[in-house]
Amino acid sequence: MAKNLSGDLTVVSANRLSDGVVVFLDDSGHWTRKLELAALARDKRAGEVLLERGKAEAFSVIDPFLVAVSEDDDGTIEPLSLREKIRVAGLTFQVIASEAVRYA
Amino acid sequence: MPDTHFYRYDDYDRTLLSERVEQFRDQVRRRLAGELTEEQFKPLRLTNGLYLQLHAYMLRIAIPYGTLSSRQLRKLAEIARKYDRGYGHFTTRQNLQLNWIKLEDAPDAIAALAEVDMHAIQTSGNVIRNTTADHFAGAAADEIEDPRVWCEIIRQWSTLHPEFSFLPRKFKIAITGSPNDRAAVRVHDVGLRLWRNPEGQVGFEVIVGGGLGRTPIIGKTIREFLPKDELLAYLEAVLRVYNRYGRRDNIYKARIKILVHEIGVEKMREEVEAEFVQNKDTSLRLDPQTIEAISSQFAPPALSHRSAVVGAVEALKLENRDFALWLKSNTAPHRMAGYRIVTASLKPAGAPPGDASSAQMEGVADIADAYSQGEVRVSHEQNLVLPHVAVEDLPAVYAALERLGFAEANVGKITDIIACPGLDYCALANARSIPVAQSISNHFASLAKQHDIGDLKIKISGCINACGHHHVGHIGILGVDKNGVELYQISLGGDVDFGKTSLGDIIGPAVGADRVVEAVDALVATYLERRDEGERFVDTYRRLGVEPFKERVYATV
Repeated sequence: MAKNLSGDLTVVSANRLSDGVVVFLDDSGHWTRKLELAALARDKRAGEVLLERGKAEAFSVIDPFLVAVSEDDDGTIEPLSLREKIRVAGLTFQVIASEAVRYA
Repeated sequence: MPDTHFYRYDDYDRTLLSERVEQFRDQVRRRLAGELTEEQFKPLRLTNGLYLQLHAYMLRIAIPYGTLSSRQLRKLAEIARKYDRGYGHFTTRQNLQLNWIKLEDAPDAIAALAEVDMHAIQTSGNVIRNTTADHFAGAAADEIEDPRVWCEIIRQWSTLHPEFSFLPRKFKIAITGSPNDRAAVRVHDVGLRLWRNPEGQVGFEVIVGGGLGRTPIIGKTIREFLPKDELLAYLEAVLRVYNRYGRRDNIYKARIKILVHEIGVEKMREEVEAEFVQNKDTSLRLDPQTIEAISSQFAPPALSHRSAVVGAVEALKLENRDFALWLKSNTAPHRMAGYRIVTASLKPAGAPPGDASSAQMEGVADIADAYSQGEVRVSHEQNLVLPHVAVEDLPAVYAALERLGFAEANVGKITDIIACPGLDYCALANARSIPVAQSISNHFASLAKQHDIGDLKIKISGCINACGHHHVGHIGILGVDKNGVELYQISLGGDVDFGKTSLGDIIGPAVGADRVVEAVDALVATYLERRDEGERFVDTYRRLGVEPFKERVYATV
């Protein structure tokens, strides 16, 4: 069951400078594409500290910010908002492939 | 490849572009090396059309007045394949957006654009944006004059115009050269309508202060008739008044529509005319040689005489019902007998509206070379147009478009939906647009049903910025976020066609994402039951008002 739906649980996210890809700050201060490796702040103050760290490590990313997440009993983290879910999971529809013509 | 019949860049244009590419290359290099902060770099990338969206950078490429040569379209396909994910999204401003560009590749992508005289300059920022035009320009049977001549004159005047590089907010101009407005001129910052006055002279009606977004307003006419050679002097006067008095303290009140609304159209006219008096006898007055030099580049192609009635076409109409429907909805009268304007629908059932793969773009370019003088247009309704197709070639064009998936006979019908990229891509959006459009499109996929319903325009925006033009949809759908849940507000009765511009009325509380199709179905059912002979959906709505539609929707959802 998801817990901490109040938004106290947060991770720090940003877009990578070179290509805009969504990244998260991990425990060692590196940026990772994997949400499951993101450093988790468990209260508001910890979130502020984590965001400060993200900003200090922002050479290769753009505009770090806090993302409210939930955590399941098995430790799985998921963003609360649809916008952040889409940032993590990608498009919610199938795009057409480069060489595709629809009825070929 | 046929010669183009629109403006060709000269050395001045090409030098400007190549210098711009090198400037941007150096700016990107400095940003990646940490020599520029994001705060310093952001305005530089934006002025070159490079946005940051949810998952990636997006490059918005200007397609001046929606006109492309087949060579340019092939280059767009190549750039999409090489630097992006092999597809692009044609927008309501006749531009192309590539959604997955890497910053490090952006200078090369822009250099590739410059090879075919294209760029992404002024597709963002508080500047004069790409001037849009009737997508049937230069071909339409009802056209008084080709509006693209004036779009090009505006392009040359407005590109990197030093006085208008820091406007209070973005500024969009649209021009139509036909009485049947296909360029939505009354919902632009400035709309220009070419018309012939009783003395037989052609000039512009100047409409100011229209716009959609958070505060939708229909533009007001401030000059009934402006002689053509005074166009730039008058536009400069409008821009100067806006630049002086437009609000800069509140982004939501910074567009010219708010200024016109606040001071009133009379005062606006007075200010503009006073400024115009200072301008009109300066170098801003267009001399006949300049107009002629630009006009000559838009000289219509020399189309050979072709038969207007072709036996093979008539036979295929009887044999193939889809072809007959396609002729009806996807082709339009050409100014020359024996030719039609063909719209390639980028809205096959269930597809993201306006998206085309690189292979599809190349396919359309091939068809244009073979059958349409090498020319393609992008419509603000997110379709592609082949402007000069001989009637006898229609079966071949239909077959070729069918192979690409672009022969759906749905132009102007319920599945010819305008939709913004929405929350799947856009950093500003509150809700998704494309999946909603796909659901509606799949639900109403039957062509027979669509043609029975008739002309019905659905327009979907994922936020109040209204890139999907929902305010002027016969059925408008606006995505909102309520406590983290996507809801969709429905409005009825919006329109931009045939000079009957109107804004839609919201029918009631927003509905859940899983109820939008049912709501649209209820609206359509009400229309089908209550329509009079020959009435479009929007006509029935205007006659009956909101109540019967509203009642049915909320009884259903």
